[in-house]
Amino acid sequence: MRTVNRLKAFIKKPHNIILVGLAVILAYLTLFPLFSLIRDTFIVHPSEIMSVKGAAVNDYTLFHWRKVFLDGERSAKLFYLPLWNTVQVSLYSSVIAIVLGGAVAWLVTRSNMRFKKFVSVVFIFPYIMPSWTLAMAWLNFFRNRLVGGAPGLFTALTGIATPNWFAYGMFPTSIVLGLHYSPFAYILIGGILRNMDANLEEAAMILKASRAKILARINLPIVMPAILSTFLLVFSSSMSAFAVPAFLGTPVRFQVLTTQLYRTLNGLNPGYGYIMAVVMIVIGTAILAANQWFVGKRKSFTTITGKSSNSSIVNLRKFRTPVSVVLLALVVAVAILPLATFAIESFIMAPGDYSAKNFTAQFWIGEGAEDIGGGEPGVLRNKYLYLALWNSLKLSVIVSLFAGTVGGLAGYAIVRGRGTKLASFVNNLAFFPYLLPSMAFGAIYLSMFAKPTLIIPSLYGSFALLVLVGTVKYLPFASRSGINAMLQLSGEIEEAGVILGIPWHKRMARIIFPIQKASFLSGYLLPFISCMRELALFVLLITPANRVITTLLFQYNEKGWNQWANAINLLIVAIVLIFNTVINKITGASIDKGIGT
Amino acid sequence: MHRTFKLLTALTLLVLVGPGLWAEPSADLVAAAKKEGKVVVYSITSRIANAATAFEKKYGIKVEAYNLKDGELIEKVSREVGGNIAGADFVISQDSGRVYGQLISTGYLVNYVPDSMKSVIPAKYQNPLVFQYINKVFIFNSEKTAKPVIKNVWELTEPKWKGLVQFKDPKLEGVNQNFLTMLTSPEWSAKLDKAYQDLYGKKLALTTKNAGYEWIKRFFQNGLILGNSDTTISENVGIKGQPATVMGLFVYSKTRYDEKKNLALTPMTEVEPFSGFLYPAFLSMTKNAKNKNAAKLFIEYLLTAEGFAPWSKDVGAYSSNPSVPIDKDDHPMSFWAPKLVDEDPAYLFQNRADVEEFVNTISSN
Repeated sequence: MRTVNRLKAFIKKPHNIILVGLAVILAYLTLFPLFSLIRDTFIVHPSEIMSVKGAAVNDYTLFHWRKVFLDGERSAKLFYLPLWNTVQVSLYSSVIAIVLGGAVAWLVTRSNMRFKKFVSVVFIFPYIMPSWTLAMAWLNFFRNRLVGGAPGLFTALTGIATPNWFAYGMFPTSIVLGLHYSPFAYILIGGILRNMDANLEEAAMILKASRAKILARINLPIVMPAILSTFLLVFSSSMSAFAVPAFLGTPVRFQVLTTQLYRTLNGLNPGYGYIMAVVMIVIGTAILAANQWFVGKRKSFTTITGKSSNSSIVNLRKFRTPVSVVLLALVVAVAILPLATFAIESFIMAPGDYSAKNFTAQFWIGEGAEDIGGGEPGVLRNKYLYLALWNSLKLSVIVSLFAGTVGGLAGYAIVRGRGTKLASFVNNLAFFPYLLPSMAFGAIYLSMFAKPTLIIPSLYGSFALLVLVGTVKYLPFASRSGINAMLQLSGEIEEAGVILGIPWHKRMARIIFPIQKASFLSGYLLPFISCMRELALFVLLITPANRVITTLLFQYNEKGWNQWANAINLLIVAIVLIFNTVINKITGASIDKGIGT
Repeated sequence: MHRTFKLLTALTLLVLVGPGLWAEPSADLVAAAKKEGKVVVYSITSRIANAATAFEKKYGIKVEAYNLKDGELIEKVSREVGGNIAGADFVISQDSGRVYGQLISTGYLVNYVPDSMKSVIPAKYQNPLVFQYINKVFIFNSEKTAKPVIKNVWELTEPKWKGLVQFKDPKLEGVNQNFLTMLTSPEWSAKLDKAYQDLYGKKLALTTKNAGYEWIKRFFQNGLILGNSDTTISENVGIKGQPATVMGLFVYSKTRYDEKKNLALTPMTEVEPFSGFLYPAFLSMTKNAKNKNAAKLFIEYLLTAEGFAPWSKDVGAYSSNPSVPIDKDDHPMSFWAPKLVDEDPAYLFQNRADVEEFVNTISSN
């Protein structure tokens, strides 16, 4: 009887139902693939009959494990060295993202800096662009004579030849990834700073605490969870970034795990790749565990209560103009300049020649000509481009609707059920996809869903598979912003609704969502944007007929057909910006508004 | 004897009557193909898009043509045919070791030689049917000198060429890996050994298994620059105004960009013991082709001079149909074959994985 009552009480709370549902579905979509992945490290795949001599497909073998871990210098070159490079790149880029994104977030939300509106809009551009296009921009600027050809713009203008370490390899890879992911920091940290209760700061000021002290003792501790989330996100993202190290590392043969992963998964030894994926997951999980241990020690970080909260603005005084100008220059350099070079490069016929007679609209509206590229028509006349663009849009919208909704609910349920084992289990499950490197995640879903499993029919080649993988992969963004939003929201607000007998769905729609609209909406927007510019996740799952715009873009980049690639890149950025603006106009919210000015 | 006679007759007729005589596919096939109305092709050569446009115009059959990388194409086809999922009706593939091992021996690709071509295309190109040969040769920046800059491949391991030679990362393209693998074969390592002695007048001191491995090692360790694409490499090598004379080993047909892109690219054809390498692209139907007749019709079309026009109007493409003319500035296959390293599928299947591992070990930092 007591158990029944307890069960009744359990079911009565909506968040428990959500938690149980999510636990089952997510376990199937994230843990089950993990087992499939581990199994893949022990079997002989079709392309491995060339290397595992005498074996038949699907035989069990320890060959991959031995080769990756225990084969002396070969293992070092195959695995240990790339692993070390990966760890370094991920660390550096996380630091860069947090420092830069955090600083910008603070300046925009808490200071009287100038150009706020502009900076807050433009600062997220690097995240909208597919990450490797920033790498291409880096090469346009800083490449040196190593790769032959014309030197980069920087050398052309200053006459200074860039050293190899600056132009290629670890350094630029870390910088580019750091810049690409700093909007994470900006959005997550800025969201908290903006909503922070000014009473805390005011209290400190009344007690005559110095600005530095307030920053260290109040602002930092409050944003700490956001900083840790950012670190986790950026570290994991950088770890699974593929295209940036591929473009910046190849000239100096700088290898990271993903470049090895790509080679092995597409080449003769996918087994090696699956092991590397397992290693990356282990690293990611370790960071997640550390993160949770740290966050778990903190009691609460409610910042929105029923009371009014007016954040105070710091006066930068004599630094106001210099700081504003420096930041403006920086933002223009990393966000606008690359776009400008893409625009110019998309109109240039012979490489490196910027005279007027060399400009052509061929790559936008021209018909195919065999002596340029393979007779590919200009992007606006290319039927495959429209098909891919349509696929991308459809996919991104559907994925963002699914991920945003599920993630918002997850955030709600996890916070309401806080402290229970179930909640923390779902919390971990909802975040787990993030730790799976995109390419490996795609590979697992490929091997799982290429044949019918349990209740699901074979999905390979279908659009549904792309939606599924995208939704699961981007759920962490949405659930993070959902959790952040809910954590700030004092429970008393919903309790007031409960006391008045307002049903759950109305409480969600009328109270909780409206208050934290910005945070919840960024849970929709981040998956949308990420999906629009995602490559590694889909590259293995896509069949030519349902390919998306980024695979087309990457193909052009890889082939060195830069004019088409630059044109497509501009199209992607333009489309995302249009969506952002439209959503802004309709709902009054947008990513940059998440922090607001 | 009989066959040769028929071939000769066909060729004579061809010369007399001109192209088009053998090129007419049967009316039944055309009708059946038109009924299907559509055909899907995956191809490693991007110029398929132009052939597709011409084919659409000629027959009114819609073509979906997708350009994929070689490894990618092999993966997709084995997934799609293996899972009986509708994909390509026919494919143009390359990388013979893997194509044989993963696609042909599994029955995923089905050989189809049009009747009209059986007496035209040499028997050795018929199973599996070769679409064309492609060559990658040593090409240098000829802005300052038109004279070939090397005579022997061992020169590329000398300090004077350090950091001045480009090659597409073999991780990114199977055929580059195949070329390196072939160098370790008894035949080519013996030739490399001899070339070393011819150049330096002394025996090669080995630190690896044989002269092939040795050359690969020294070639890579002499600051070889790996690129992402042959197009980019052709620009990096060919662009004018560079302080040093640079060179690369890349697709010969890229020299077609010379004029439009203002590049200075000249190939070398007299390098000992090889001036580059050569590889076939195969033309095959898939086991689960949906539009079988349209695929057959397109395959037949691609083997004619008309269908091959997007390729033959430039250097570096050699149809398996010997009567299809090549670019006027190019040399025929008979000129190239003895100068270039060819693929041997059996040897590749056995040794590719080892060489790939070797290359990965010496080439990463």
